[in-house]
Amino acid sequence: MPKPSDLLPLTPPVFHILLALADEERHGYGIMQDVARQTNDALQLGPGTLYGCLKRMLAAGLVEESDERPDPELDDERRRYYRMTALGRKTVRAEASRLAGAVSAANARLGLAGGKS
Amino acid sequence: MIGLLCRIYSAMLYAYPREFRLQYGVEMQQCFRDRCRELAGAHAASGAWFRFGLRTVMDWMASIVRERQARKLVQEWAVTLLLFLFVTTTMVQAYVVPTGSMENNILVGDHMLVDKVGFENGGNNWSSYVLPRREVKRGDIVAFRYPEDVRQTFVKRVIGLPGDRIRVENKQVVRNGQKLVEPYARYSTSGIDNYRDNFPTAPDFYTLGGGREMFAHHVQGGEAIVPPNTLFVLGDNRDDSLDSRYWGFVPNNYLVGKPLVIYWSFDAPTSDYVGWTFHHVEDVAFHFFSKTRWNRTLKVPESQ
Repeated sequence: MPKPSDLLPLTPPVFHILLALADEERHGYGIMQDVARQTNDALQLGPGTLYGCLKRMLAAGLVEESDERPDPELDDERRRYYRMTALGRKTVRAEASRLAGAVSAANARLGLAGGKS
Repeated sequence: MIGLLCRIYSAMLYAYPREFRLQYGVEMQQCFRDRCRELAGAHAASGAWFRFGLRTVMDWMASIVRERQARKLVQEWAVTLLLFLFVTTTMVQAYVVPTGSMENNILVGDHMLVDKVGFENGGNNWSSYVLPRREVKRGDIVAFRYPEDVRQTFVKRVIGLPGDRIRVENKQVVRNGQKLVEPYARYSTSGIDNYRDNFPTAPDFYTLGGGREMFAHHVQGGEAIVPPNTLFVLGDNRDDSLDSRYWGFVPNNYLVGKPLVIYWSFDAPTSDYVGWTFHHVEDVAFHFFSKTRWNRTLKVPESQ
């Protein structure tokens, strides 16, 4: 089992996919929608990027496949759901605090602290 | 429309490594289709569809590179290259419309993709295993090799299938004794040209080789009778179209396919699309945004 620190830094798609799975399990399209929401449409994952990331995240043990079931809001077609593992949660926390450290270092240097921008 | 896009997307998935496609292909198609439905549900403007299309192609190319790199196999790349060649040569073909014979449905300067495998009657039959296809219907818009000069591709509308009896009376097409209602047809003049508007009369100066053969063997009782394995086609711009009236029937094996989608429409005269000119390159470079007909982007030429 790799340690979370071995996996840092995460790429933006991986980071946002983990955030999308933080509170509930989702299927592929649900992840795409949630990542777009998180980033105000700045990051819109295409299917190729999404499943490329998921493949590597599954291999690294950050996420796992849940069951296949229909999404009541979309249609009755069965979809594969994904959920975050304990390692995934630790890793995304570690990445968030790494980013927070980087942001505060930047703020200190650039005089951006205090909410000015 | 959505079904069509999904078909294209599912063909695009073949560029991924096999295991990846088998593992995630179905889910990727679901995502793609969901996104299409969301856009359609929101009545998105053509600009939004265009950005979606662009983003999808970029995602496709970037992730293919990514998934193939992971395997670092030269032969994997060869497969991709072959697939690109295969798609562009057998499945779709890019085509620019040089003349106004299909106005107002297809304009000069429409750049379109032609689906080369959509019809049963087309040349390459083995590809029917890859994509769904259907027979040519009356009213379909088709692209085909011009029988009088196979280097040229023409786009016209199918009026007659084998066995149909066709005549034109004062610009009104009559098929098997019934007057056709043709909302797509456009007439640029009220003047009557006897050959053009009362067809078939007798071959004249403008009748080309195939047309003479049609008059000699396939005109009976004042009607052209479409022989087996051919099509009778007319341009929508009836008074200004070089079509079956002049050069006869299109053999099935000359059929290229069905116009799929207009991906770019640039307003320039016919002369710019007949050969490459420096003027045209310059025109595109400087007037790309102003002379592109944005509302035609991703428009599907409609059959009737």
